[in-house]
Amino acid sequence: MDPISKSMITIFVNDQPVQASVGASESLLDFLRQKALATEVKCGCGRGDCGTCAVLFDGRVVKSCLVLAAQANGKRVYTIRGLAGDSLMANLQDSFVQQGAIQCGFCTPGMLMAAYNLLRIKPTPTRSEIRQGISGNLCRCTGYQKIVDAIEAVAKKIVLVPDAPDSMDLPIPAPTDQEKAKAGYLLLGGG
Amino acid sequence: MNEIGYYRPKTLVEALKVLHDYASRAKVIAGGTNVLPDIQAGKVKDCVLVDVTGLDELSGIRMEGDMVYLGSLTLISDLAASRTIREQANVLWQACQVFGDPLVRNRATVGGNLVYASPAADTAVPLLIMETILVAESLGKGRREIPIGQFFRGPGKTVLAPEELITSLFFHSTRSYQGAYIKFGLRQAMATSVANCGVLLSGTAPFRTVRVGFGALAPMPLRAARTEMFLCGKIPEESVFAEAADIARSELQPISDLRGSKEYRLILADALFKQALRKALA
Repeated sequence: MDPISKSMITIFVNDQPVQASVGASESLLDFLRQKALATEVKCGCGRGDCGTCAVLFDGRVVKSCLVLAAQANGKRVYTIRGLAGDSLMANLQDSFVQQGAIQCGFCTPGMLMAAYNLLRIKPTPTRSEIRQGISGNLCRCTGYQKIVDAIEAVAKKIVLVPDAPDSMDLPIPAPTDQEKAKAGYLLLGGG
Repeated sequence: MNEIGYYRPKTLVEALKVLHDYASRAKVIAGGTNVLPDIQAGKVKDCVLVDVTGLDELSGIRMEGDMVYLGSLTLISDLAASRTIREQANVLWQACQVFGDPLVRNRATVGGNLVYASPAADTAVPLLIMETILVAESLGKGRREIPIGQFFRGPGKTVLAPEELITSLFFHSTRSYQGAYIKFGLRQAMATSVANCGVLLSGTAPFRTVRVGFGALAPMPLRAARTEMFLCGKIPEESVFAEAADIARSELQPISDLRGSKEYRLILADALFKQALRKALA
C-alpha cells in the first residue's frame, strides 16, 4: 500500500485519452494546459477565486484548479472545445458573440461553462438568478451586463419540455474497458 | 523537504486501513476546494493525500422516519437542490444556497466543510443548531457518534483522531420549526463570512424552543445557550429581540482580522441576529 508521489494517469479530455506522468499534488488545470495542451482552459488565479478554469468533470461544471489531476484518472473531462457540438453550448457561444459579451476574452471560456451549468439546472432563470449563476466567475472588462444579456437571450429561446426528467446528470457514460485498454489505462495507487 | 503522496482507496475498509497506517501523515481529500488552495499556499506538505472521492457509499441523502441521514461526501449542490433538505432542514438548505459559488458547490462536500473546521463554515451553524450527530469511523476506535456541539475545538481543530474519517451525519427533521440563516460576506459569492447567524424557532407566542448559532464570531461555530434560555417562553417583539441581542453579544468572542474588526463583528452580530429572528418569523 505505497502511496504514489508521481504516476502515469489517463484522462479522457474531450473524449481523447491523454496519458501523462503527474505529481500527487498537481491540479487538473495544470494537466489540461500543460499535458493535454487544452489552453482554452485559462488560469486566472489558480486557487478557486476566478472561475476561468471551469470544465465539465464527472457530469458537473467545476473549477479545475480545485481538482487534483489524479482524481480525474480514468474519467472524462470536457472543455468548451469539447462541448462545441452541444446545442446549448453552441447557442451560448453565438449569443456571447452577438451580444458583445466578450472584450479581452480571458474569462469567456469559464463564463460559458458557468452559464452552461446554470441553464442545465435552471433553463429559465431570472436576471438575478443569472447573476448568481455566474457569481463564481470574475470578468474585469465587461461589467457583466452584456454577459447577463447573452445568457438571458439563450434562456428566452429555450423551450421547456413538459415532464423532462428533473436531473442534473448529463448522459455521459464512463469510459469503456475497450477505451481504457486502447489508451493503455494505468491504475494509480489503489486503483 | 516537501513530499506529497497520493492514495485512492476503493472501499471504506481500505480507506480506514490507509488512514490507520499513515495516521498523522495522512490528509484526507474529498472535493479539494480547501485542500488545493492550501497545497498552492504551501500549507499542505509532507503528507499522503487520501482521496476518498471513490467511496460512492459515502454520498447521499436519506430519510428514515423523523431522521435525515447524509453521507459525508454529499455535495453542497445536491443539498442545495434537494427537496428533502428544503423541507426537513430548511436552515441548512438556506446556507447551501449561499455557500461558496455554484461551481464550488459542485465539488465541495458537507463532511469536508465540517472537518476543515473553519469558524466561518457555512454548514456548521445550521448543523449545530439542528443538533447533528457526526459518525466517525476508524480501525482503532471503531464507529463512534460525536454530537456536533463537541466536535469543534478551535480554528481548523476538531476532536477527530488522525485515523478517523467522518462517514455520515444525521439529525432530526426540523420541519415543524421556523428557521433562518443569514451570512454577511464582503461580496455575495466566494466570500468567507465576516459573521453569520442561524436561528431555529418553534412555537411563537410564546417561543417554545429557540436555538441560536453564530459563525465567525468565536474560535469555533458557537451555540448561544444563554440567549436561547432567555428567549424561551418570551413573546416575539422588538424589545425582546434587543434584550436577547445584548445577551448574545456577551456570549461571543470575535477577533479582528482582514475581514473585519472585533467591534464591527459585534455590531454585525447584533444586526444579523435580529434579521434572522425576523426572517424566521416572517
